[in-house]
Amino acid sequence: MEERPIKESARPEIVVVIDDEYPIRLSCEKILTKMGLRAETFEDGACGLDGVARLKPDMVIVDLKMPGISGMEVIGRVHEIDPLIVIIVVTGYATIDTAVEAMKCGGYDFLPKPFSPDELRLIVNRGLERRRLALEAARHELEQTMLKRRFVTFVSHQLRTPLVAIHQYLDVLRNLDETGDTEARRREWLDRCLARIEELQDLIKDWLTLARVEGGTLFKERIRIDLNCLVADILETYEQTAAAAQVSLEAHLPDNHLLVAGDRSCLSVLFDNLITNAIKYNKPGGKVTVSGSESRGEVVIAVADTGIGIAEKYRPFLFEEFFRVKEDGAGKTGGTGLGLHICKQIVSEMGGTIEVASEAGAGSTFTVRMAAWHDPEAEAGSKSDERQEANIDCG
Amino acid sequence: MSAKVLLIDDDSDFRAAVKSLLEGHGYTVLEASSGHEGLRMVLAHKPDVILLDVMMETSAEGYGVTHSLKFEDEYAAFRQIPVFMVSSIEESPDERFPMSADVDEIRPDRYLTKPLEVPEFLRLLERTVGAPHGAAA
Repeated sequence: MEERPIKESARPEIVVVIDDEYPIRLSCEKILTKMGLRAETFEDGACGLDGVARLKPDMVIVDLKMPGISGMEVIGRVHEIDPLIVIIVVTGYATIDTAVEAMKCGGYDFLPKPFSPDELRLIVNRGLERRRLALEAARHELEQTMLKRRFVTFVSHQLRTPLVAIHQYLDVLRNLDETGDTEARRREWLDRCLARIEELQDLIKDWLTLARVEGGTLFKERIRIDLNCLVADILETYEQTAAAAQVSLEAHLPDNHLLVAGDRSCLSVLFDNLITNAIKYNKPGGKVTVSGSESRGEVVIAVADTGIGIAEKYRPFLFEEFFRVKEDGAGKTGGTGLGLHICKQIVSEMGGTIEVASEAGAGSTFTVRMAAWHDPEAEAGSKSDERQEANIDCG
Repeated sequence: MSAKVLLIDDDSDFRAAVKSLLEGHGYTVLEASSGHEGLRMVLAHKPDVILLDVMMETSAEGYGVTHSLKFEDEYAAFRQIPVFMVSSIEESPDERFPMSADVDEIRPDRYLTKPLEVPEFLRLLERTVGAPHGAAA
């Protein structure tokens, strides 16, 4: 294994040596110091344990057979101080039994006396590497815990924000005097409350969808799905919404219907999200174009809008949960920040990819790639017949 | 002149409700939707009290504002302005920044929980900046 360079700012690693033989202590200290480590030596278990408690070392090298507290007991007590300290057991009585016993008690490795400097160096390096890995794992676990806690805080905040706004409006309304403009304000605020309730509903809906996608319960089956039909259905659903936003919807899909293997509800959520985004982040007079093609067993579907676009700096974060572009028009449009994250999860669940190309101010194109439907039984028969059949299904 | 309250919060509905409440009670209300905008307003208008949201675009943006007010020379003249921090999550900076030694320095004068309890909040403001002129109620 490659040796990891010790960070300049980091303290030298500390090794405590507990051995009743002076020559062993002396030679260990010399070798370890030469290795760039800080070595501290003790002549019996009691002093050694005091030293371990005080120095918080990375490694303890302990003689198994000493007067006073035995080496076995030292191992247990060291691990009470810090379970991540790596312990190397040294003994002149190198029997299999003692070795096994020492390992059982938590020793990391075993060094029979007499040992050469090379043997010591090798075993110490291996032990310290183990210690570094253990520390890193512990740090990682702490980070994960912190992240999780942060995330819980964040989600609670997202859920509470609309509730707070509604509550505050209602509370202030209740405390308002019956003066002239109250009625107009009351109406306006009630509308705002309703909008915020909708926002909360959307958030909970998306949150549940995400949980289902991540928990694997939304993805129920892998069946043949005709994307021409699926997209046509979604476009039809949003005709009115698009018209109200003065956005036109177009589909340019090949006559040979695009077929993929996937789950119907997953694919519906995916293209629903992409198409509603394309309408929402568009401009009056703008256009949403869904185009598709198939080549070499891969289906490519692109949802393009002529809207506000996404600045390059935001693009790397676009598919992260709760990421929202806060700029110009985008910030004013309501959204949960979960839609694209859900899309990404769905696409990767199906073994595909999703990417975005955009020009700020000119529009964005989201491109989904996934494997085309492959039916081994149909291989033998005529492919165009099957397509024809799909065509009929759609109507 | 009536006391000036600066609202720094990224939720325009929350600002609208509080603004209306305070104006109804004779305060002058300034609004900012981000920490940066809030700090600019501090320099430009010298408010008498600041009502500051914690989680805005970033999760600790409010603390960025108190930090600037306490440590940046530009704001030396405004250091005494009372800051009330509001959040929908009950969480102190000790929890938020467990490793930080100077956490005391960014502590606001007071924590308030969203939504604000209207009568209590009005009493607190009055104790802090005095009764506003031309109070409606």
